Amino acid sequence: MTDQIDFKSKRALVIDDFPGMRTAFKAALASFGMSRVDLAASGDEALMRVKNTKYDIIISDYNLGDAKDGQQVLEEMRYRKLITLGTVYLMVTAESVYERVVAAAELAPDDYLIKPFNGEILRNRLEAILFKKQAFREVHKSFANGDLERALSECNVVIKTNPKCLVDAMRLKGEILIAMGDLQAAGELYSEISAMRAVPWSRLGLAKTLHLQRKEEEAEEVLSLVLENHPGLVAAYDLLADVQLAQNRSMDAQATLTRATQVSAKSARRQRRLGEVAYQNKDLKTAEVAFKGAIEKGRYSVFANPNDVGSLARVYLEQDQPRAAGEVLIANAKQLAENDEGKLVNLVVKSALSSKNGNQREAQALVQEALRLRKAAGGRCSPDLAMDMVQVCVGLGMEQEAGQLLEEVASNAHDSTDLLNRAKDIYRDAGKESVAQTILQKATGKVAQLSKQGALLMQAGDLVQGADLLKKASEAAPRNPRVLMNAVWATLRLIAQHGNSGGRLGNAKRMLGDAAELAPDHPRLAELRSAMREVEKRLKAPELNVACVE
Amino acid sequence: MHETAQLDQDVPMDDLKDEDLYAALLHEMKNNLVLMAITMDQVPRTGAPDHDQPLNEARRLCQRVSERLMQALMIYKSNVGGLILNAMDAYSPEDFVAEMAIQARYLQTPLQVDTVVEEGVPSLWFFDRNMLELALVNAVHNSISYARSRVVIRARMDGDMLCISVEDDSDGYPAHILKAVAENKPLTSNGTGLGLRFANLIARAHTKNGTCGALSLRNDNGSVFEMRVP
Repeated sequence: MTDQIDFKSKRALVIDDFPGMRTAFKAALASFGMSRVDLAASGDEALMRVKNTKYDIIISDYNLGDAKDGQQVLEEMRYRKLITLGTVYLMVTAESVYERVVAAAELAPDDYLIKPFNGEILRNRLEAILFKKQAFREVHKSFANGDLERALSECNVVIKTNPKCLVDAMRLKGEILIAMGDLQAAGELYSEISAMRAVPWSRLGLAKTLHLQRKEEEAEEVLSLVLENHPGLVAAYDLLADVQLAQNRSMDAQATLTRATQVSAKSARRQRRLGEVAYQNKDLKTAEVAFKGAIEKGRYSVFANPNDVGSLARVYLEQDQPRAAGEVLIANAKQLAENDEGKLVNLVVKSALSSKNGNQREAQALVQEALRLRKAAGGRCSPDLAMDMVQVCVGLGMEQEAGQLLEEVASNAHDSTDLLNRAKDIYRDAGKESVAQTILQKATGKVAQLSKQGALLMQAGDLVQGADLLKKASEAAPRNPRVLMNAVWATLRLIAQHGNSGGRLGNAKRMLGDAAELAPDHPRLAELRSAMREVEKRLKAPELNVACVE
Repeated sequence: MHETAQLDQDVPMDDLKDEDLYAALLHEMKNNLVLMAITMDQVPRTGAPDHDQPLNEARRLCQRVSERLMQALMIYKSNVGGLILNAMDAYSPEDFVAEMAIQARYLQTPLQVDTVVEEGVPSLWFFDRNMLELALVNAVHNSISYARSRVVIRARMDGDMLCISVEDDSDGYPAHILKAVAENKPLTSNGTGLGLRFANLIARAHTKNGTCGALSLRNDNGSVFEMRVP
């Protein structure tokens, strides 16, 4: 390394629960010129500091006592965008947990430093990371700005000119290609890397690409191989569960997620997913444990979600344990009071409890308030919670309120069998099965019919009519991401064939934006974004524009 | 700097399972070893032999204790659950030997420490860098103890394998050690055996298409410690 890294200009944060280590790090960093070093004794203190100060380098011990570990701190900082891709994050671990820590990481830090180590090695590692950050500066910048094309071309420059960074650049290129929706190229790239060496992340990337291309069986094959060789690789279980759910194998998905939580129980999101899948499978005992875990692990973190409280209370109520449901509300009262979502959960569970205890008037007042709050919040709430409200209303004989709400929820969920079945169960238990049939028919029939007819017309090549019907379907189900995405797909095909008139491109963009907000992790988004860019590119090319005029 | 690590006082000792207790103890010991190393780094060298020599010796001892502790733990763990290298990735062999040289020079040896990267060694190779380094640093420190004037850390290709070697101009390995390693028999007597067992474990955990890495020792105008990884 010929250039020197200017450590004097850098600002660092050291996170360690052991005061002696913090001081030692400070001394070691000072010995190579770093004077601007802040110290944090816990993950929460670190998060607070990072909110107010921009650091170039963060050094964190993995083990931070009983609270958040260094990996959780990294994930929360990235998730909350408190640090950028340019920020150095060095994880310090003991060799005894090293391989396990690496396998459980959903987001890789820049490097792992094994204890014990000395100051010279610390310096050498930091220097190496900083050189790498320099090499990738333009890629990171473009990626952060959402300029994926530029990020890709910058990444290709690194691949061509910097042999030491080749594999890192290929890894990043894979992520860029997936974000762009160029799954073909991403798959080829990961295959190429896997042929060099079947490192876990390259196979994982390949499996992800296959899953996004809906080649579920091939994805599962790759993942089985990964897990055979690396049974501690938690991300592989998460992806395998996605693959199994995509094939409607929810029992298998539950088994996979159970194994994942056995390997690493720390993620609130993973516990939540296990709870949701187990609830879907009507395994209430497993759902109970998982939702408890989600609440526990999410506490004081950005991954906390008040709906976990609602889910756990629902599971208790269905097991006929109203007292436990009430206790969950009390134990989480502070979190529930923090936002509308939490307040809504609180009201709905309370109304269900009052209703169960025979206190009809109170229940009625509470659910009325919940309905008002939901409306005031723009109709935003989890479909399950809305169904809880329907259940309370039906139980109290508030037929009109129940019907209205069910219709609204169902019209956005004509393709969610589980949710619709729950609605039928609720009405059946009240002896009003036919009422449910009528409401559901009215709510879902129109969307289902428009969707089906639109798809048939598209297939038959009548893009104008087909896209029109699918757009109408999306207007009838404005909160169903799948319906929205179908409309986007149809509109883009229409524009490609017949040009952009009547604000088609603007409509497609708006619908895609809505879908992305409703289901930010949906596998189809990337593909549609890519198609959108393709269409925009063609509209800009003048010779094609002429040909496209209708 | 003078604070000592203590077990978390909030945890009643009765509630701790044995393994938790050992884990907490080891965590504390390791932290103290890092502290000791960094604290000694802060003692300035004066140039006076009666000051610098014992300081260097103390550093070496500190390093040795750390290594032994770590090797013992890794071997114990591999006996319990096998060793899986999840952190396999692409690293630069050139940077790797440079870091090994830093490890050697850190001990302020009067010996000459050289690195050689032979022609044909690619810019990147796939290995578990931290684990390979833990295995090799022990060999580096051994060479520092026995070499007359020079230690060489070399990267070269041997067929399809990357070979990292630590070479010195000492009297070489005694015959019984060469024999034991050649026959792949675990060594039990004294500390040397532990380091070799550990290095062997790490080399063998590196696999590619059915072939695995290997540890070998030989004498060639001194001792040569070689780890090959496919």
